[in-house]
Amino acid sequence: MTLRGNSVTVLAAGVLVSVGSDIESFWSALLAGVDGITPIERFPVHDLRVGRGGEIKKLPLAAERLPDGRASQLLVCAAEDLRRRAALDCDRTRLAVVVGTALGGVEQLEAALEDGGTLRHAAGAFYDSPAHRLAGWLGATGPVITVSTACASGASAIAIGADLLHADAADLVIAGGYDALCRFVMRGFDALRALTRDRVRPFDRRRDGLLLGEGAGLVLMAREADARGRARLGRLLGHGSGSDGSHVAAPDPDGRGLELAVRTAMADAGVGPADIEMVSAHGTATPLNDRIETAVLKRTLGARASQVPVNSIKGALGHTMGAAAAIEAIMCLLAGQHGVVPATVGLEDPDPECDLDCVRGDARVTRARVSLSTSLGFGGSNAALILEAGA
Amino acid sequence: MSGARVAAVGVLTGWGEGIGALPDDAERAAAGRPILPLRIPPRPGERFRRATRECLLGLASVEAMLEDGGLGRDAIAGDRSALVFVTAAAYGSANRAFIESTTTGAALHFPYTAPSAVPAEVAIEFRLTGPYVILIGGAAATVDALWQASTLVERGVADRAVVLAVETFEECGSLYARGRWLSRRPLVEAAASALLVAAREKPVYRRSRAARAGMESTRRRAGETLACEPLISLALARQRGHPTDVSGQWRGQVATLSWPAVASQRD
Repeated sequence: MTLRGNSVTVLAAGVLVSVGSDIESFWSALLAGVDGITPIERFPVHDLRVGRGGEIKKLPLAAERLPDGRASQLLVCAAEDLRRRAALDCDRTRLAVVVGTALGGVEQLEAALEDGGTLRHAAGAFYDSPAHRLAGWLGATGPVITVSTACASGASAIAIGADLLHADAADLVIAGGYDALCRFVMRGFDALRALTRDRVRPFDRRRDGLLLGEGAGLVLMAREADARGRARLGRLLGHGSGSDGSHVAAPDPDGRGLELAVRTAMADAGVGPADIEMVSAHGTATPLNDRIETAVLKRTLGARASQVPVNSIKGALGHTMGAAAAIEAIMCLLAGQHGVVPATVGLEDPDPECDLDCVRGDARVTRARVSLSTSLGFGGSNAALILEAGA
Repeated sequence: MSGARVAAVGVLTGWGEGIGALPDDAERAAAGRPILPLRIPPRPGERFRRATRECLLGLASVEAMLEDGGLGRDAIAGDRSALVFVTAAAYGSANRAFIESTTTGAALHFPYTAPSAVPAEVAIEFRLTGPYVILIGGAAATVDALWQASTLVERGVADRAVVLAVETFEECGSLYARGRWLSRRPLVEAAASALLVAAREKPVYRRSRAARAGMESTRRRAGETLACEPLISLALARQRGHPTDVSGQWRGQVATLSWPAVASQRD
């Protein structure tokens, strides 16, 4: 491994998902293999084929304390978890917020279009509203950027956050992703017949679709030189992205965009296949996605692809869309820190076509300091991150 | 080569094609019309049957950009070409269509609700398969997009980058009417693209909360075009010579990208 010096430090993280309302409960649930999929209760789903998902039943902060809109609330709760672990000790004009989302505040648009919809709802419907609400909550007056590379958004946001630090446009960056479950997105995926009536089974022979989840995941990043002497979760070593240029909704069957993203991230980090000790796959459990990812990992990692532990946490959380890649990046850093890779919930009968070393059953104790995290999204969006725990 | 320069810009607005169509005073020219729509003819072919108006506008603006640069489609094809898309609101019409659709129409509309639908159609049509970024926001986000594009070129992960912005308002006109005091008038639909290529000089990116002189002039001529505004500014600057800096403001934030001396731009 010959690091290229592009890395940034990850000082701390905060998370909110169906299986945990802070880093500790999230990590414990992943190790225990908790299934966070439940019947959806917050909005009507009676007319949909599938009405289950990774819904957060109770927010850790009282609703009256939080800003309007579910999406903003999820972000703020994750930020509060992060703030308990690290001080945002910089000039607030140098504190940036970069968050990714697939849906923004779209639930507010539904409300705005209903009878009684207000201007406040309409203003909240802009996809960048939750990011600005988070910045306002934190008192951050540095750059506020919203990224929307669909379900790769969280990774794209972390990458842009690193670029902001390299450009000296900020001293601390809060970066990550969020998305709320709402009728809009449930109805959409239901109409596409993309949701499974079974459980989510990444890389399993019986996999037949995904289930959605909601949540937020945020990391606090700083330049290496500014982080000396501070406690840290790890480092972002490199990042890459790639466009499929093949279909508006479906991934490229050959995974060309994902392959470019992975190769770019590895080159950016200065790592080779032998350096990768764990892969957090996008692993949606759709027949096509998992097959594509397997092929891309084999092409990019070569023989190493069958030796490195691979997991997908979407079996436990559902697909948290714009939050997914950020939450998975946090999982990678925790796995590296603890030397344990969480198992893929729902994987029981591995698909021979997905012949990777997918962790199933129990979490696996292993060295996993350097990880590759992959993400794919609507519109042919692909992103990859290379992370290193501790260090 | 460690920087990036603007090699071509394409602009379409509700006033017509190119910056030559812009009036001197948009508010006066609008004569009370709250929205200036931008309509273009449908494209032939099965692939475009479902594409939204925003997608078609994105395609047309990239074609205008290639024409401005005297370039063919091959000039931007391949995995060494990055695509950076930005919009504040162009997903609104597709979202509304989906929300108001019947059960049978939902599957048709849903994929186009994602902001990624516009750059996806552009990537497919022009075979852009390089690095990919999508930002959400108004004019400041477009300057962020230009910075991201130049960063991708500077990092060496792309040889060139297309920055694309699209804004449509008509389908959500009733919502904008409710918030008429929140945004300037007239709202002018637009689609604009800029091609950045490798150059010697590295542009400097800055964020601040202080408005910069000259930001108003584009808006005075074009009207409120949200994310398209900085690209229209670039087109206007290119008409005068070469752009030295471009700024954008959105939600109280100002982003600026400044190029060093014009003499060193061409290499």
